[in-house]
Amino acid sequence: MVDVRGLVKRYDKVEALRGVDLAVRAGERFALLGPNGAGKTTLFSILATLRAPSEGTARVLGHDVVTGRDAVRRAMGIVFQEPAIEQRLSGRDNLLLMGLFYGLKTAAARQRATEILTQLGLADAADRPARTLSGGQRRKLELARALVSDPRILFLDEATLGLDVDSRRGFWAQVSLLAAAGRTVFFTTHYMEEAEVADRIALIDAGRIVALDTPRALKARLGGGVIRLQTDDDAQAREWLGAHGLAPEPGGQELMLVHADPAAVLPEVLRAMPIKVHRVSVNEPSLEDVFLKLTGRGLGGDAPVPAGPRAGGPNRGGAS
Amino acid sequence: MMRGIYAVMVLDLKRFWLDRARLIAGLAQPLLYLFVLGAGLGASSRLGGGDYQRYIFPGVLGLSLLFTATFAAITIVFDRQIGFFKAVLVAPVPRAAIALGKIGAGAAQAFVQGLIVLPFAPLAGVPLGFGETVELIGAMLLAAVTFSAVGVAFASRFSSTTVFPIVSNAVLLPMFFLSGALYPLASTPQWMQMAAHCDPVAYAVDLMRGALLGRFFFPVWLSLTVLAGVIAVLVAASVRVFNRGEDDSALGATKFNWRR
Repeated sequence: MVDVRGLVKRYDKVEALRGVDLAVRAGERFALLGPNGAGKTTLFSILATLRAPSEGTARVLGHDVVTGRDAVRRAMGIVFQEPAIEQRLSGRDNLLLMGLFYGLKTAAARQRATEILTQLGLADAADRPARTLSGGQRRKLELARALVSDPRILFLDEATLGLDVDSRRGFWAQVSLLAAAGRTVFFTTHYMEEAEVADRIALIDAGRIVALDTPRALKARLGGGVIRLQTDDDAQAREWLGAHGLAPEPGGQELMLVHADPAAVLPEVLRAMPIKVHRVSVNEPSLEDVFLKLTGRGLGGDAPVPAGPRAGGPNRGGAS
Repeated sequence: MMRGIYAVMVLDLKRFWLDRARLIAGLAQPLLYLFVLGAGLGASSRLGGGDYQRYIFPGVLGLSLLFTATFAAITIVFDRQIGFFKAVLVAPVPRAAIALGKIGAGAAQAFVQGLIVLPFAPLAGVPLGFGETVELIGAMLLAAVTFSAVGVAFASRFSSTTVFPIVSNAVLLPMFFLSGALYPLASTPQWMQMAAHCDPVAYAVDLMRGALLGRFFFPVWLSLTVLAGVIAVLVAASVRVFNRGEDDSALGATKFNWRR
């Protein structure tokens, strides 16, 4: 489906991609996860035929993204971060026009628009100017626009950025249906719980893929659980733990410890450590923890991960 | 290719139709030139008041066509930053089709605007006979395509909406003033006549004036040849810009890139 080898992309002085290899299988939901500036957008643009690689090759559905550009364009659908619908025109008109751009005759384009609008539950809102739709509906309209070409592969770049939880769920429910119907979905996201639905995840950092696996396998790399401690003196506690054969994670502002069996080790630590502990939490490892472990940095950006209790997936916004 | 051109034109004309109120607003500038500047300057002109307005009517028509066509081209600058065109760029549409569609749509908009100015001809003392009108419409079409090609050739080279109006004013207004739209080229200084020979607007205005008033400054064959040549060169140049490589590493990673 997607086959990327030795991909390097240089802008004037910056090396945005430093040798990326990855392969996406047919029918897979594949997530690309990483902090801002890691190279997500660059990789995405190259696969979407909007930029040419400096070195290496990228193939989509067997077509090279440079030499087989038109074939790639015909076979894919894209949802961008930014809106790419004409806000003053109705949803139906937008899809109709898109159909014309994909070489459909007017009647066929009209029919295709109606089909997609019905399929995505947008039929009622189809004839109003797009700008009058709700945020969730507009995003669905973007998805509808990407489907006009009846693509075998869908690229979604931070497609739900800024949407409320309900709208995001609605959006991903549609995407799941499309994936179930056999379309391959390649997406980037900031929201951990969205990445969790992927069949496989590539973690990208500083222009390199640092891990590529199923969400479960990625989390299993950490093994066991993640213990977080808040103490009177974290630095001293860190030292004490190190001296007693435990290895706290070096990165981050908080004291974090990955251990195969937290239940066995934690009571002993709390009893024996001479530093007062205010708060303890034990969690299943999250994807964010995996990323932190692999890179020493959080997904939210370059800054160290701020301290604080995190039960579920943290979601830090921000455009990339 | 043809379907791509057609799609670009449908898109632009649909958007133009949403903005149809602009057609009325677009009347302000030519009418101002025609009836205020025309009346004021005409009173002190050797041509006399009524004669002067009649004289500048084709020039004002040219003004209207020129500004409408180049304004339409600005949408390229907007489109490239955000909006529907981003999706068009990942559709399998030849870049040349986008360039040609843009030129066609701009010319159509300018032509419609010109048609709206046309009914004011009798008020300016220009009688519209059947023969004159047919000739005039031909000249207007040619002028509209030329000016639209000028606009697109410029707009496709700029990535910022703030630069484009400045540049276009530095180019459009001189082209308009040198065109003989507001005064007979025959009575202008030598250097100005020479400059007018390099100004496509001058040929377009001269054709329209000739059609209406039967007075030509350039030979008709020369005007037709020059305008056809200008269109050919600018279309080729625009297509080349739109077609240029798929990448421009001078732009940052987050900037969307049209000049590929």
